[in-house]
Amino acid sequence: MRSRAATFGLTAAGLLAILILTLLVFGMPVGASLRLIVEGAFGDKYGVARTIVRIAPLLLTGLGVTVAWRAGMYNIGGEGQYVIGGVCGAWVAKLIAGSPSAVATPLLVAACIAGGAAYGALAGWLKARRGVNIVISTILLNFIALQILSWAVSGPLRQRGSTLPWSDELPRAVMFYRPDHASDLHAGVALALVAALAVYLLLFRTRWGFLVRLVGINPRAAQVNLIDPNRVQVAAMALSGALCGLAAAVQYVGISGQLSVEFSQNWGFLGIPVALLGGLHPGGLLLSSAYFGTLRAGTANLARFSQGGDTLVFVIQAVAVLGLAGIRGYTSLRRPVAEAV
Amino acid sequence: MVSGGGLELVGISKRFGAVKALNDVSLSFKPGEVHAVLGENGAGKSTLVNVMAGLTAPDSGHVIADGRELPAGDPVASRRAGLGVVHQHFTLVPSLSAAENIALFRMRTAPGRFDVAALAAPALERAKTLGWTLEPDAKAESLPVGAKQRIEILKSICDDEPFLLFDEPTAPLSPDEVEDLLRILRRLADEGRVVVLVAHKLKEVLAVADRVSVLRRGEVQAAGLAARDITADQLATLMVGELPHAKPLGARATSHGGLVAQELTVPGDSGAPAVRRVSFSARRGEIIGIGGVDGNGQVELAEAIAGIRPFRGDLTFDGGPVRDVAYIPADRHADGLALEMDVADNLLLGRLRSWPRRREVEPWARELIEKFEVKTSGPAQAAVELSGGNQQKLIVARTLDREPDLVVAVNPTRGLDVKATAFVCDQLRAARDRGAAVVLISADLDELFEVADQVSFMSAGALSPAQSAASLVGGTP
Repeated sequence: MRSRAATFGLTAAGLLAILILTLLVFGMPVGASLRLIVEGAFGDKYGVARTIVRIAPLLLTGLGVTVAWRAGMYNIGGEGQYVIGGVCGAWVAKLIAGSPSAVATPLLVAACIAGGAAYGALAGWLKARRGVNIVISTILLNFIALQILSWAVSGPLRQRGSTLPWSDELPRAVMFYRPDHASDLHAGVALALVAALAVYLLLFRTRWGFLVRLVGINPRAAQVNLIDPNRVQVAAMALSGALCGLAAAVQYVGISGQLSVEFSQNWGFLGIPVALLGGLHPGGLLLSSAYFGTLRAGTANLARFSQGGDTLVFVIQAVAVLGLAGIRGYTSLRRPVAEAV
Repeated sequence: MVSGGGLELVGISKRFGAVKALNDVSLSFKPGEVHAVLGENGAGKSTLVNVMAGLTAPDSGHVIADGRELPAGDPVASRRAGLGVVHQHFTLVPSLSAAENIALFRMRTAPGRFDVAALAAPALERAKTLGWTLEPDAKAESLPVGAKQRIEILKSICDDEPFLLFDEPTAPLSPDEVEDLLRILRRLADEGRVVVLVAHKLKEVLAVADRVSVLRRGEVQAAGLAARDITADQLATLMVGELPHAKPLGARATSHGGLVAQELTVPGDSGAPAVRRVSFSARRGEIIGIGGVDGNGQVELAEAIAGIRPFRGDLTFDGGPVRDVAYIPADRHADGLALEMDVADNLLLGRLRSWPRRREVEPWARELIEKFEVKTSGPAQAAVELSGGNQQKLIVARTLDREPDLVVAVNPTRGLDVKATAFVCDQLRAARDRGAAVVLISADLDELFEVADQVSFMSAGALSPAQSAASLVGGTP
């Protein structure tokens, strides 16, 4: 058994090595690039703000993935749940336009959460009811969600009088509080921290969380003890979608204030490597989302070296997850087979 | 005629951990005879088959085929020496055709390049001489059980193998198919082969065997008895040993209350009924034993009582609906435990209806660990790291600690060592003495006679009337 600190150290060293290797492969000067990444992410208060607002959605979608995967539901549909959450938020914003912000802001957030939850539960229900493979259904539902978004912003949700596919802009007062209007930092990011704590308590301190973990490990053991694993899994998918919907709320009500086809910035997909690297544990997710959030904020600076500068983060995430999978596979091969009885 | 001399086992011993599966087993099989090896579950039959087939290397002793010693633990060498094995569980590839399965089997040992038709030809030829119609292009998965077994048999005899080993071949067959198979065994022996039939059903054995040997707890109880000189009763006693003094029928049972099942019909996984119109009762203060070969509907019956499987018919406890059954499932890894979770979590599976406060969990888990003598480093140890016996104790602890009124246990001591077995049996007795109704389903006759007050047997989904252990001495199934 390796200690937690050792695991952390090894993982951190591995991630740094992957980052350096990727820079080398891209033909970028390593030292200068690393300095630019750090400067971009932490160089001034704007950099720090940029980093924090990128960590928040990653942490939330990562939490969503965590809840579903813990229940044995390999939800690849965070992106779709995020998008549908945003669409529901924008739809409600249109319905209640003109309401005071004390009413409007919570309603928008609730709408995003509800939309994501419903979309996640749909995939869970298809699995429970019809045995549809959750990976396939959630991937396909992503495409449907993106089409719904594109239809919504060019149709029913399009800003009046605009020819561009954009929804109405939220009034400043309805959006999350910003301490400094020159930066993107907003109060909504606190929701991500609250959600991380809540998911931790739920998974590891409650009966329901126990059932989620049990069903993910051995659904038959749940069934034998008269728990219907399907119900637990559908509920876990709903919560997973709700967290992705909350991520959408944080971006919509906190950053963009309006929807376009660009609303989805792959946050839903990026939640998967965050969750895997974080060991499907909210505590680990704080670290993994911080790492990827920092990279995403910092690598924007690299554009001056290379056209693909800010796509570097995607390459690094992919390599990190593959490396992790390789290490897991290797250790599980070496682990002695449990004594057969 | 096939000529190959005799097959001999000399002083074979094999132990698995603390369990002696085979202890100095010496047997000799002659050509031209059907020689049955009998034994209850756990008597060492499977290990014996595996040693003979070269799948398991014995700790000591060896197998001699026609005067030559076979290399231990080398299945290909055993096959080359002419030993054909028809395994209890079929080894066919479902998506391949009959001919392809035979070709696949022979490609390692037959000379020449890979050619399905050529490799399968001798087997198909044999099928003709045996009067079997065989569709060589039919996919194995589409064939009925009897036809699958025929392919297995053809695989083992198409090279004129002089030594044939059948491991519980009648288990999956219908009565008609059994009759047909026994005729084939006779014929294969008459052609001059050694035919070893490993089985536990006395009737079938006596119908076909020339000689009978009996294994019990890994030791030879009787070697090469002439079948015509022995009765089923004598064989039963040899297999089971001296029966423990049977308790008087229902002595402890209180006169009222308990589980009553009437006309219970339970579907199997395929949807076809696995349990057919079964009626029985288990009163409070009574252990009802249900014996029989695995796969005759016992698990389905248990799951129906435990509320996991739907059923038709009536099931009542103390006159009302059955609720809160303490269920010890047959397959502790698949059904009983979440192996990657820790000991405390696995105990918590028994508290789903009375979820404890968080700070109560650890002291409670420690208390159960101590009370049920679970050997573990503590509540936080992963269940997968425990030995089989201690894993079973976890399940027993969490199901019996809440003092249930109804206990259903399926093969609760399978794979456990003597001490753990005694412990589990004691716990079942304690539950009974507390006034619980206990249904003990077990393929282990010794255990049933030792623990149960009354015993009945399940076969093909039907249940025989309950009898006290004493009345069963002369008539095991």
